[in-house]
Amino acid sequence: MPVLFEAPSQAPKKTSKKGRQAVYPFSTPFTAYVMNPKDIRFETQGTDEEVILFLRQHIIVLIPPFILGIIFFFMPFILFPMLVRFLQSPIEIPSGYVVVGTIFWYVATFGYLLTTFLHWHFNIFIVTNHRIIDIDFLFLLYRKFAEAKIEKIQDISFRTGGIMATVFDYGDVLIQTASELPNFVFEKVPRPSEVVHVISDLTENRKKGRNV
Amino acid sequence: MTPDVDTIVWLGMKLMMLVGLGIYIVFAFIIVRQEQLMSKTLEAASERIISILTWLHLGAAVVVFMLALLIL
Repeated sequence: MPVLFEAPSQAPKKTSKKGRQAVYPFSTPFTAYVMNPKDIRFETQGTDEEVILFLRQHIIVLIPPFILGIIFFFMPFILFPMLVRFLQSPIEIPSGYVVVGTIFWYVATFGYLLTTFLHWHFNIFIVTNHRIIDIDFLFLLYRKFAEAKIEKIQDISFRTGGIMATVFDYGDVLIQTASELPNFVFEKVPRPSEVVHVISDLTENRKKGRNV
Repeated sequence: MTPDVDTIVWLGMKLMMLVGLGIYIVFAFIIVRQEQLMSKTLEAASERIISILTWLHLGAAVVVFMLALLIL
């Protein structure tokens, strides 16, 4: 029989500026905002639980440490010889110490950039069809996991201000939950107005008794 | 025969550097461990790259320690 109608294949949609639904659903190590991600799961995720929104702080927060990393990179070439000349130390440092010291300097710079990146990478906010989750990687051995059911959300708002936040469209999303639960602050997340819309839609749908 | 002051000073310096580098190895190992724990919390396709980076950092820390042990 001839084919009268063929459903279009569901190709992943690219990000658009306005459309809330049109976001590429796969993540990279630098992803800060993704809707309906296909490749992200978290430890306590239920079988019927779907990740609606996955957030990190805006990538712009990594720029100052990155610039500092560049400065650290050039320090052994510029600052150290200047320092040695300025101090005019009578003690001559053996070449072995210079070699080991320089290599260690670069390893430590890499370590600084790596820990800064990990701190950013593992500070995540997840919105699922059942709850909102805030996972914080405070410092090396400390991590914090906080969650609240969608129906416990009472109020949601966002604040944004300053040149950088306006230009790069990021801000803080504030979520007020039932009194016995902590309030959530998603800090410096991209597209805060869209985040508010998504969570508001979820809470409204939940109140209407519909499962999203 | 007693060693001169310079030798004692540089030996002390070497010991201090080795202790410092040893502490740095522990720090690098904690980063690896923390990354492993966090990867359990969050399962994403990109975690492998980050895991490689943390292991590279630990490897580099060990190499510097060995280098200090050999050439200082």
